[in-house]
Order: sequence, then structure tokens, then C-alpha cells
Amino acid sequence: MDAENKSPDSPLLEARGLVKHFASRRVVDAVDLHCHGGEILGMLGANGAGKTTILRMCYGFLQPDAGEIRIGGINRREDPDGANRLIGVCTQDDTFDTDFTVRDNLLRFGNYFRPRPSAIEERVDQLLGRFDLARHAAAKPETLSGGYRRRLMVARALVHQPRVLFLDEPTTGLDPQARMSVWELVDGLRQEGLGIVLTTHYMDEAERLSDKLLVLKEGAVVTSGGPRTVLGDLVGEHVVVLDANIPEADAVRQWLLDEGLERPTRILNSWQIALDGAGLARFSASFGQLRFEVRPPNLDDLFLQLADKQS
Amino acid sequence: MRLYLAVTAWQSWSVLMRHMTVYLRNWHTAALPPILEPVILLLVFGVGLGSSIPAFDWKGREISYLAYLAPGILAYTVFMTAFFQALFAAYIRMHYQKTWEGQLTTQVRLEHVVWGEALWAATLGLAYSVIVILVLVGFTLSGWLDLHWKGMILTLPLLFLAGVAFAALGLLFTAIVPTIDHMNIPFYLVIMPLGFASNTYFPLDSDSLLAQAWLVVNPLHHLAEGIRLLLLTDQLSYHLPAAVVLFGLMILILLPVDLRLLRRRVLGEA
Repeated sequence: MDAENKSPDSPLLEARGLVKHFASRRVVDAVDLHCHGGEILGMLGANGAGKTTILRMCYGFLQPDAGEIRIGGINRREDPDGANRLIGVCTQDDTFDTDFTVRDNLLRFGNYFRPRPSAIEERVDQLLGRFDLARHAAAKPETLSGGYRRRLMVARALVHQPRVLFLDEPTTGLDPQARMSVWELVDGLRQEGLGIVLTTHYMDEAERLSDKLLVLKEGAVVTSGGPRTVLGDLVGEHVVVLDANIPEADAVRQWLLDEGLERPTRILNSWQIALDGAGLARFSASFGQLRFEVRPPNLDDLFLQLADKQS
Repeated sequence: MRLYLAVTAWQSWSVLMRHMTVYLRNWHTAALPPILEPVILLLVFGVGLGSSIPAFDWKGREISYLAYLAPGILAYTVFMTAFFQALFAAYIRMHYQKTWEGQLTTQVRLEHVVWGEALWAATLGLAYSVIVILVLVGFTLSGWLDLHWKGMILTLPLLFLAGVAFAALGLLFTAIVPTIDHMNIPFYLVIMPLGFASNTYFPLDSDSLLAQAWLVVNPLHHLAEGIRLLLLTDQLSYHLPAAVVLFGLMILILLPVDLRLLRRRVLGEA
């Protein structure tokens, strides 16, 4: 009844103050999440940042040590069955039932929900068609290509018509074409009003799909907001790319120190320096004789910066 | 308490139905071992080896080795079937097929998966035991054995309970063995001693205190002896309630431990 009291614009997923320890290590530290219907929340962070642990708390694999998770207004701890009826989960690994065909996987999955999904046969046919799986309906899942396996994983997560979908690195290991087809499917689901929570290592994926980004570092939220805002906050407005082996390298390093900036991110033989507009003007004034390139920042810069800080 | 109540949850029975569906699809090949194994064991050991063993005294009556062995095989069948289902088959579903992880992304929780596995192992153990009973009926009708069948219906719930208890033991090892190769350790150090030193295949008549104490706490011994007394003498004995108590204790103690260990293994929960 809790759920019915929520207004239509309330978030479908609302997590407050999530904390999780493994042994004595705090792996998630006071994380808040909000995801509305028709919205994709992207979670970004280096390995070990706590993304998967947060997801696993949201879909009930792990109990938070502190904090509260509400799905469609239902408190997960008080009513796990009610909360799980509203979510669909696509885990990082394929977890098909290999004893069943593609079609039977979808049908069988429907048996694990109450109230049972209505008109399950029609629903499965519809999903097989939509995810281009109809011609593989009688095949065993392990015979499918990577892209089709992912499609099946997403389709299976939707059998019971959930309101929130969790996608844990849904396109890892897929070729570019398969990735794009998964993106299109995910985008279609967003347009239908599903709230989607996505973790990914692919920066272009997070940038293109996410309406909101949550950037995590060592279990805590570093920043959150729209992709452009997040980039501006963390990386700056411009990225200067220059040869790291130039004779003036020491002078550049000293200039950064004097400006109170981070040391540059090094990729092979180049340095990438994040600067705001005024910083870029000062850099140009100081090193006008150098050859360098200026480009807008992207999520790769953010990711590299986070990884750099972590190391 | 939530764990014990989960036995009645629809999720636990959904997991059981999933296993049954897979099994029944392959029934024609899956049914061969439970039918042929007791026939072969009774012929090889009961008739073959038994012909070299003179009739011996058992609880004041002279019986053949075949007559001694038949109830033992019945008890041993539920023990091994349930244990192996909960060890090897469950491990494969948990670790290699990741069936559990898929189920856990639904309204099924780990306590339901554990109960589903235990109920399925017990169902299969009971089904295989019924096949053994039918084989023994065949041996009785053909004159090889002289068994009393009146009280046998009473033992069916006990066989199911035994299946759940032995499944709980199997799941304990599923939760702790590092790899499938390590299953040899519980098999040879726990299961073989428990299975053989139990008056199933041979009478353990030692007077040593250790042997007697072992038999008192070994539930399989009480199951085998209880069924033997029922089949050979048509008598109900204290062994049957003793088996109920021991199986009940196994379930009460082992299932929470299984759940705790599996929570750590499957969900990564500390």
C-alpha cells in the first residue's frame, strides 16, 4: 500500500544512504540513487568502485548494512517479494537455464513470479519477435552468438513486465554492431517508460544512453548529474593533448603545480591536461610556442582520471 | 524460522518443479540406473555373493544374506540418491550452469533455492526407493525373498524425510568444496563410512563402545534396521522413531548452516 501512496513523478528506484562492508572494508559508502520511469541512470567507476555491489543490493542479492531501498515505493527489506516483482535483472554473466530452449527459458522464468505474468505465451512470442529471437526459439541458449545471448538475457528480464530494469555491463564482450543493437533496444525500453539502471565500462555507451550519470570512486559518489555536467565538474571544459617527451615537459609540470592542478594523465607518449576556459587561456599564453591539440572532454578522460587518482 | 517456513513457499516448489520438468523430459534414460542398479546389486551381492555366505543369525532368526541385503539396499538408495543430487547435481547447477543465479534474479530467494534442491533430492530419493520396493516385490513374487509388505506404506514419508536430511548434508559440502574435484574428500571421508558402517550391506556386530555409539547416532543405521525389521518380521521398532528424530535434527541443524555458507558462496555475503 506504500507503493500506492507515491505520486506519479516519484522515482521508481530510490536508494538512500546505502552502506556495505566486506569484512572491515567499506565498499559502498552512503550512496543515494534515484531513477524515474523513462530514465536511464548510468553508473560509472573503475573496477572495484562499488558499482556491482550497489546493483546487487538493489536487486536483493546483498543486504545493505545501512540505508534503505524503495522500488516503486516498496521498501525492499520489508517486502522483498513485492520489490522483486517490479524489477528485471540482467546480470553481467549469462545465467540462462541451459536445460531449456530459448523459448522455454522465457516461459520458465515467468513461473518464478507471483502474480504470474498474464498471457505468458503471448508475452513470450512478443518478446521473441521484438528481440529478433523468434528464429532461435527452439535453440539452446549456449548455441547463440554473444549478441543474441545478451538479447535473450534482456528479454528474460522483461518477461514479467517489470518497471525497473537493471543492466550490469550489458554489452561487455560484444562486437560494435551487436552493441549498437542492444543500445537501440535499451533506448526503446526507456521510451516505453521503464526506469533503467546501467553499469558499463564503455564511455560512449554511458554517454549516449544515460540521462543521468553517477560517478563512483572507492564506494562513494564523486559526482552525479547529466553527462555534460558531470564532465564539466570533474574533467573541465577542455582537454589539452601534447607530446609528453618535449623539452619543455618540466616547465609544463611546474606550471601545473603552480596552478594547483592535477598532474597530467599520460597515455602512451602524450599528456592530457584538463583545463577550464581561463586555464586554457593562461596555458596558451605560457606555452604559445608549443604544438598541442585542444578537444572537448569525454568520459574516457573522466575514467582515466579516476583510475589515475585511484592508483 | 523464516528458513524453515520457506519450505511452504511457492518459490521453493517452483524450483522443485523446474528440476522435475528437466528430469521427466529425459525419463527414458534417467530411469534406467534406478531400475537396473538394485536388480544388479541384489543379483551380484545378494544371490551371487550370498550363495557363498551361509544363513546367519539376525535378532534371533536365521536369515539369508539376500534377505539381509534387500532392506539395506532400500535404505542405501534414498541415502545415495538424495546425497548425490544435493552434491554433484546441485553443484553443477550452482557453479557451472549458474541456474541458481538466474533464479535469484526473480522472486526466488536463496532459502527457496536451498529448499527446492532439498525437496527435489528427497523426491528423487523417494522415487528411486519406490522402484527398489517394486524390484523387491518382484523378488518376493518370484520366491527369492519372503518379505512382509503390510507396514511398508508407513515408511514412505520416512524415506522422504531421510531424503531431505541427506540432501541437507550434501548441500553442506556443495557450499564448501572449492572445486568439483574436491568432492572426493567428503565422499570418501564422510559418505562411504556413513553409508557402509550402518548395517546396510553387512551387520556391524562389534562390541566396541565406539562402534555402538556410532550406530546409535547414525540415522542410516536406524533407517536400515527399522525397514529390515518391518520387512522381515512385520514388526515396528524403536529404530523408526529414532530415525525420525535424527533426520529431523539433521534438517534443523544443517539447513541453516547450508544457507549461511551458500549465502557467502553464491551471493558474496560475508
